[in-house]
Amino acid sequence: MALYSLKADTQGMVSAIDIVAGDRIAVAQVLLRLEIMKMEIPVETPVAGRVTAVHVKAGEYVSEGQLLATIETA
Amino acid sequence: MSEEIWDPEIAELRERQRVAREMGGAEKVALQKSKGKLTVRERVDRLLDPASFRELGSIAGVGTYGDDGELLQFSPSNFIFGRGRVQGRPIAIAADDFTVRGGAADAAIHEKQVQAEQMANDLRLPLVRLIDGTGGGGSVKTLETSGFTYVPACPGWDWVVANLGTVPVVSLGLGPVAGLGAARLVSSHYSVLVKGIGQMFAAGPALVTAAGRAVTKDELGGAELHARTGAVDDLAEDEAGAFAQARRFLSYLPSSVDSLAERVTTGDSPDRCDRWLDSAVPRDRRTTYKIRRILENVVDRDSFFEIGRRWGGSIITAFARLDGWPVAVIGSDVMVCAGAWTAEAAQKLTRFVELAETFHLPVVNFVDIPGLMIGVDAEKAGTLRHGGRALASVYQASVPWCTVIIRKAFGVAASGMANHTRFRYRYAWPSGDWGSLPIEGGIEVAYKAQLNSAVDRDALRLEIAQRLNRVRSPFRTAEKFLVEEIIAPHETRALLCEFANLAAPLRKQGRAAFTFRP
Repeated sequence: MALYSLKADTQGMVSAIDIVAGDRIAVAQVLLRLEIMKMEIPVETPVAGRVTAVHVKAGEYVSEGQLLATIETA
Repeated sequence: MSEEIWDPEIAELRERQRVAREMGGAEKVALQKSKGKLTVRERVDRLLDPASFRELGSIAGVGTYGDDGELLQFSPSNFIFGRGRVQGRPIAIAADDFTVRGGAADAAIHEKQVQAEQMANDLRLPLVRLIDGTGGGGSVKTLETSGFTYVPACPGWDWVVANLGTVPVVSLGLGPVAGLGAARLVSSHYSVLVKGIGQMFAAGPALVTAAGRAVTKDELGGAELHARTGAVDDLAEDEAGAFAQARRFLSYLPSSVDSLAERVTTGDSPDRCDRWLDSAVPRDRRTTYKIRRILENVVDRDSFFEIGRRWGGSIITAFARLDGWPVAVIGSDVMVCAGAWTAEAAQKLTRFVELAETFHLPVVNFVDIPGLMIGVDAEKAGTLRHGGRALASVYQASVPWCTVIIRKAFGVAASGMANHTRFRYRYAWPSGDWGSLPIEGGIEVAYKAQLNSAVDRDALRLEIAQRLNRVRSPFRTAEKFLVEEIIAPHETRALLCEFANLAAPLRKQGRAAFTFRP
């Protein structure tokens, strides 16, 4: 078991969060979406496991590199 | 066995070389290994083709002598250099030895560094620097040992700068690197920090912590940090990875600006075409797609080598091959800032165009640009000036240039897709969508008065959008010959291979009118 920090590769506004803490997730699953310059950018997880925390709220503007979620890897 | 006249001297030479190869001694070597680092000798051997290292200055260092003139003790200089081969091609190699006084300057013989740089320049050899040293000045203790101080100057810097316009320079950060070492690391066409062992800073944690903020080496200047700031181009997982990246980077470039990059046989047919490309870009303009998959597909199989993945992410820069010819690839990544030019992306583009121009690599540019990044943060970052600089480099470039518009092309940033006053070697995919301003954002401003006086604002807005969308078809632009040729995406590879073959004989050797800066 290890903790993985999912960080934003782009800045943008959190337009949707598709998971909650506790959810089991698979590789490449879309966990949330960021909106920027009229595009909706899906944020995929590169690891499988369980979401232990979501660190952002819908409507929040995040910067590149910001921590979005913590995942306990399987 | 007969005794030759100079045998005693040859024996002394071998003995001095043997001692020099022991570096800073068993204890310091063990310390180096305990940090998970290779020694300088192991590094040189692993980077170069087997048994190809020809060292120069092999016995330079500091000797202490007895009253009878016998050598009592010898400490080698903490910088070794010479020539070797990488993939059969001669290169210059310059490497710091941290086991001797932490690579610091007080154990250095600066003229070796100067000669290493000058050798690469004079012999037109690609240069690889393996950097693992604390800096140019050593510690303030040297004030007492030398009894004087000096006005700072970086040794050999005229050559370091000249090399950026003459020979490929790769630097690998393989230890904590500060001051002069840091300046040497960034003054390269390709710089890499190795995770865990390589860090780079103006001054190390001790000084920063003393100034009031406690930090670790990695927090201050680790590979993960600087691969994101763009202070270095990339990180590597380990030293072997860094050596592989260095070899790969050099494989796309000529040995100097006075020769041209060579074609190789990649075994990939220029006529290969994959129909999935015709579905690669979604019809919904708000929906993203993965450009790397497209780029990797249209270039020769397994030839895509990305540079600077972790910074300025809305622009991808890479070397690749088309029908075996090396090319510089630029691409927009809509997964980062929708592909908009940020200040960092513009800087990344500028440097990459300068790199292509310096080494005569034809450019292929895949465009999906909604514009310059907008907003308060973007303005605070000085995005416009960095964008202006990128435009200048594109307009000054003389290397053959081919543009493929994948989807959006809006505003000043998209106008930097190519120098439009040259022959427009340009194609567009049917997903092309262009103009000065995107319709979605422009309606509110352009039709403000009408919208404000409308009974049903939203309905009018929709109606205007529908009207404008009717003239949005790329075919209407092509009808006016404002875009030269629309192609099916699956035709892209064949057309780009044709471009690479046409471009190859147009490449001109020699020093470019403008060359690379860090």
